Amino acid sequence: MAKELPGYGIIKVPKDREVPFGAVTPAPVCVQNMFQTSNWRIVRPVKDDEKCTRCLICYLSCPDACWVYKEEEDVMEWINDFCKGCQICIQECPSGALTAEAELDFPDGVVRLEKPF
Amino acid sequence: MQAFDYKYQQLDPIKSFKRVPGPEQYVPGHRTCAGCGPALNYRLVAKAAGKDTIFIGPTGCMYVANASYLCTPYAVSWIHAQITNAGAVASGIEAAFKIAMRKGRHAGPFPNIIVMAGDGGSVDIGLQALSGLMYRGHKVLFICYDNESYANTGVQTSPMTPYGAHTTFTPPGKAIPEGKTLFPKNAPQLVIGGHPAVKYVATTTIAHPLDLMNKVRKALSQPGPTFMHMLCPCPKGWKFDEKLTREMARLAVETGMWSLYEWENGTYKFTNVPKKYKPVSEYMGQQGRFAHLKPEHIAKMQAFVDEKIKQVKQAVAVAAPVPTARQKA
Amino acid sequence: MAKAKMMTGCRASAEGAKAAEVEVICSFPIRPYTAIMMELAKMVADGELNAEFVHGEGEHGQLSVVLGACAAGARAFTGSSGVGVTYAMEIYSPMAGGRYPAQMAIADRTLDPPGDFGSEHTDAMCTRDQGWLLGWACSPQEVYDNTLIYYRIGEDHRVMLPQMVCQEGYFISHIPDMVTLGERSQVKEFLPPYRPISPLSLTHPVSHGPQIRPDQGAPMDAQRAETFLTVPKVIEEATADFNRIFGRKYDPFVEKYKLGDAEIAFFIMGAHANTCRASVDRLRKKGVKVGMARLRWVRPWPTHQLAEALGHVKAIGVVETSTSYGGAMRGGNLIHELRANLYDLDDRPLVTSFMAGLGGETIWPADFDYMAKILSEMVKEKKTRRYVYWIGM
Repeated sequence: MAKELPGYGIIKVPKDREVPFGAVTPAPVCVQNMFQTSNWRIVRPVKDDEKCTRCLICYLSCPDACWVYKEEEDVMEWINDFCKGCQICIQECPSGALTAEAELDFPDGVVRLEKPF
Repeated sequence: MQAFDYKYQQLDPIKSFKRVPGPEQYVPGHRTCAGCGPALNYRLVAKAAGKDTIFIGPTGCMYVANASYLCTPYAVSWIHAQITNAGAVASGIEAAFKIAMRKGRHAGPFPNIIVMAGDGGSVDIGLQALSGLMYRGHKVLFICYDNESYANTGVQTSPMTPYGAHTTFTPPGKAIPEGKTLFPKNAPQLVIGGHPAVKYVATTTIAHPLDLMNKVRKALSQPGPTFMHMLCPCPKGWKFDEKLTREMARLAVETGMWSLYEWENGTYKFTNVPKKYKPVSEYMGQQGRFAHLKPEHIAKMQAFVDEKIKQVKQAVAVAAPVPTARQKA
Repeated sequence: MAKAKMMTGCRASAEGAKAAEVEVICSFPIRPYTAIMMELAKMVADGELNAEFVHGEGEHGQLSVVLGACAAGARAFTGSSGVGVTYAMEIYSPMAGGRYPAQMAIADRTLDPPGDFGSEHTDAMCTRDQGWLLGWACSPQEVYDNTLIYYRIGEDHRVMLPQMVCQEGYFISHIPDMVTLGERSQVKEFLPPYRPISPLSLTHPVSHGPQIRPDQGAPMDAQRAETFLTVPKVIEEATADFNRIFGRKYDPFVEKYKLGDAEIAFFIMGAHANTCRASVDRLRKKGVKVGMARLRWVRPWPTHQLAEALGHVKAIGVVETSTSYGGAMRGGNLIHELRANLYDLDDRPLVTSFMAGLGGETIWPADFDYMAKILSEMVKEKKTRRYVYWIGM
């Protein structure tokens, strides 16, 4: 008579290594907080509100959506968390309202992440 | 087959920068290079398309750099496709939504189904699937974001790489001084030339955001397959300072390396046609990928572009440039 | 009460897909499975089946279309043969790992080179590591039945895997036999509609398949492996339900024919089992204690069930209709898995293999007589003389 065959065992994925079923993840709502790319930059754009004509070219030139027009206050707002310092906006600004300034000159310069990704 | 109302979306043109829709469907927090042309393109396309959209992302920079490590920057539904089959996966999604609507499972609207394929995934390894999609008449917008190389794998040549460009598969050397000896395919013509079901084909660049977004909206409002060819300069691949990404796209148009046009119902409509074209050397001189070329190579490129310009001039009755938004000289 | 009708395996496959109310079908012609698509095309054109019939640009395109359709929530169906099956190879893993439970009807065919329209299992067997459910039918009736059973198992939320329903090219696909189609009420009771878990949707946006880091890879693989631990239970439930509703008598994993007191046995898959069964009867009349185990599932491989069915047999002949050049036994690929299957038994059966039916040749009753003779000699000598015998050579 055949003896008992071994079983297949069980597979236990540790909780901190779990991956979503079929690699399907829900869509982010506004920003993808898992990737704060702000620590890539060595310069950041600084704006002069008086020179700014609110032409919105910076808004439409940023691959990372780091310029937003605040309608009520009628100013352009810069998003710190994701700006990579590519300087396209500075290059494209028609009224010279944007200048590049070294990231290290700012007290909150060079955002450090808690742990590398 | 009786006519069924699939409730295709009709997207109105955007009249000015201030009227550009606010919500980002391609949200910040992605690992594309600083100053990435294709990323800016993605953002503008996603804005124009709106929330009732499904993106198909074949392997390439706009997959690996965007949807990295189980995170994704797409606020709308998105699916990865192989670099070989974006057109086919999109076809399947379109067919599924059609049958779902016929069976009453999906009330509408019909989604904007948009493929975001690189140049390789469009006209090289992805060509077969693209052609199948165009032939079968699925209501899908196939976008080729052209950074003129297989960029994600480290900048190798693709059929859209210009003559004389240095890539890691076309390095210049003693035996082959220009690096790349072949001239590129003409992607829109591949689609226009042989696919009777295609409704609309357009070219644009990231330096013309309203033009880009409105062409996307126009394509999405068609009841059949459409194709768009976007010039998306790549700072890493083309070797220029990343702040000049938009400038490169502008120069491409100003030198005749790239033309902006629409094709619909057999007729072409060109826009932004320069009154006087700048020499290609002004474009090529600013990119490290052309740095090794000798005057005779530049001349060969100029001759190629001159031929293109001649064709444009023949197609355009009056060569009057259409002004875009105020830009730095 | 449904009447039995004569129909080919191809027609039976199309009837099964129609009964399952498939919603997106992607076609591309290649012999011998093409007739399945021709039948479905007519059904769609005549308005008998409300489905999107998409003309794929190739087999790779077929599988891609079906992947997209499944991701968007439709029950999708496609098929192929021979080199078409291998051309689509890139897409099998994305579909299995992406958990898209579409179905592929394969009328198997020898791989090139050169062109050979005859049947071999090699084409679909090549894909067995990709994570699909995979098994062979031995009659048009079983093709029809498997079409429904595999959808039910594949779409079960505990499984969510794509399925390959295989049949012998020509022998099953083109030779008619009696098939009883199910009534609409029976099919409705057995097969619920496809309910995707996280489809591409406008109201609940999701991302399917973002890039992962290497350390996220192993958990993905583990998830897929874990599913296969659950699949056998789902197979048992589904088969029992099917038998009950449709009045069949399928063993879920292995057809056990006269194995009870068998000393030698044939281990076989697919259509040639019909000749084998007749040969077992004939040999039994001559006093040979022979039986047959017909494998119904290649993936998941029914390890424990096979050990139970064959553990007491003294010598087993694996009838191989596929090739695995350079493999451990230098023959086909079933023998490797069967030997591994039986390895831990106290009294291991002797196992050899017979390359038969390759290229689409018939396996004759005389061939089974020859195989039985070899197996009997092995029992007498108490050893395996050779790993592989090439029938006719």
